Amino acid sequence: MTSSEKSFLAKHFSHVYVEKDALSYPVTIKILENLRSSQIVKIDNYKEVFCRAGQNYSLQEKSKKLILAKKWGEFLYPGPSICHNFGYSNFFYTSNILNCIYRCEYCFLKGMYSSANIVVFVNIEDYFKEIDAVLKNKLLYLSVSYETDLLALEKIVPFSSAWIEYAASKQNLTIEIRTKSTNFQALENLKPQDNVILAWTLSPQEIIQKFEHATPSLSSRLSAIKKAIENNWKVRLCIDPILAIEGWKAIYENFLNQVFKELNPERIVDISVGVFRIPKDYLKRMKKVFANEITSFPYEESENIYTYPKELKEEMINTMLLILGNFVPSSKIFVI
Amino acid sequence: MLKITFKILKAANSNRRSELLMIYIVTAFHAEAKALIKHFGLKKLYEPSKFQIFSGNDILLIESKEGIVKSSIATTFALTKFGAGEKDIALNIGICGAVENAFSKGDVILCNKIINHYSKRTFYPDILIQHSMKEATLESFMHPVKKDSLPLEIEGDIVDMEGAGFFEAASIFLPLHNVHCIKIVYDFLDFEKIDPTEVENLIKQSIPHIENLINALLKLNLKFCNSTSEIDNIPLLVYKLKNSLHLTTYMTNELESLLKDYVIRHKKLPDTIFEFFEVQINSKKEVKNYFDKLRKILLS
Repeated sequence: MTSSEKSFLAKHFSHVYVEKDALSYPVTIKILENLRSSQIVKIDNYKEVFCRAGQNYSLQEKSKKLILAKKWGEFLYPGPSICHNFGYSNFFYTSNILNCIYRCEYCFLKGMYSSANIVVFVNIEDYFKEIDAVLKNKLLYLSVSYETDLLALEKIVPFSSAWIEYAASKQNLTIEIRTKSTNFQALENLKPQDNVILAWTLSPQEIIQKFEHATPSLSSRLSAIKKAIENNWKVRLCIDPILAIEGWKAIYENFLNQVFKELNPERIVDISVGVFRIPKDYLKRMKKVFANEITSFPYEESENIYTYPKELKEEMINTMLLILGNFVPSSKIFVI
Repeated sequence: MLKITFKILKAANSNRRSELLMIYIVTAFHAEAKALIKHFGLKKLYEPSKFQIFSGNDILLIESKEGIVKSSIATTFALTKFGAGEKDIALNIGICGAVENAFSKGDVILCNKIINHYSKRTFYPDILIQHSMKEATLESFMHPVKKDSLPLEIEGDIVDMEGAGFFEAASIFLPLHNVHCIKIVYDFLDFEKIDPTEVENLIKQSIPHIENLINALLKLNLKFCNSTSEIDNIPLLVYKLKNSLHLTTYMTNELESLLKDYVIRHKKLPDTIFEFFEVQINSKKEVKNYFDKLRKILLS
């Protein structure tokens, strides 16, 4: 956003909607301490604000509001088939936070929700209780930053640290915290855990500039990754989604060369690779609000998922595997 | 004093809305409207109507008379009669009573939550722009509320008799970032009689805040909600192609979607599309063939 745009728009989190049931939670108190100048509006249920008809997602992205709520019911959801399970059989995801501070044009969240506002479920202890019950009998691989970027919101909602501290004593649990953020310093004082994987989503700088609005640059993400590695954290790279923009082959080749010039491939746990794919219904919703190169591409549909035409998809994956093969063994690469 | 300058809106009964943005103001009674009419240079509209309506410079002001239902009806009437579009703005402006002494007489308040006391329905406008007003929860009643008969379960910081009716109606037609209630504190639920002159003066004093809000909303809508002229022309193009190629409804809908996507990707129409205006169709098979050809072009 230009400075003239910023000047008349209300800043992010100018308003915080708080469920009456969520008021007394420590996370709520901490968040409101961090946002003293925000307008607080009390509500009965987060859906009153989050699910209103007549919202404009695209405009809300320019001035996101925060909604603090208490989660009831299900805390864990089976990992979807269009996401990697990295070889784990019991793959689940959980959502402490709905929606992300970043504004990536290809993001499935734009098709999943009618609002760009961010919901924080403050009763994180209830999530832990539910997981404890599961861990009594099973191993669990859990993606905790699935519908958001936890690390990007860490200054306001310290959930990444909370998850890492929780996971420290849980031998049956492996968690992945996926991010585009460079906020590694928020975790610097924590002890790296064997069962915690920090997963950075990486894209060529050309893609970041064009489609990943408000996210850190490639070089600053690589710096954050280096710090994480130096501090002995397990690091995964997620090259996902790969986008078929003009000149993609050369762009992605230069990108991967840059990544492995900066990072020692031996210190990377694994790499996930995937082309753009999205559930059919989500794309339909996205197109109503966002008219751009991503939503207007002539995708092919298969089993209610839109993705690139088969031949193009194969070409993209094979190209990536060929280049990656120069740096890492195939056993470290997960393709979807 | 900031002035809002626009072209004068014509053809209030036209079926095709222009690209101009319209501001609809709903007030309960004339004392609330007077200062606004004077300031914005509005003229009385002499169309047969149950309501007093004033217009000028892309502003339409309607006096609903007192009450949730009347406010709802007047809002609906104005927005449908004058063809409100999604970039238009609707404001309910009027006086209110403050439940607590957190406010002062004359405070101008932008409502961030509006409650219908009876149905318990609650409404939340999207406040995406900076503004110079205080904010509060408004609770709307069907009768004047006095301190000595205040309901125990009252949630609002301020009370009135129109806001919830206005908002519920307006939000059916307009997006939530374009519908707002602005209330000016008149009393602390201890009034005996409403003085029209005092009301007029309070509204007059609040005009700078109202104008700032309107300008910010106009900027929001104009800056971020523009489509290209190529996309705007698509419905007409589709209409012509439907007729020349004898397309079915399904084909027409698909054509519109494909055409829109093509224009977004390529920033222009395909050069060859105009050749399809002049074809001769003699059979259903030819319809399908031409449609498939067109489809292939639009998927490239």
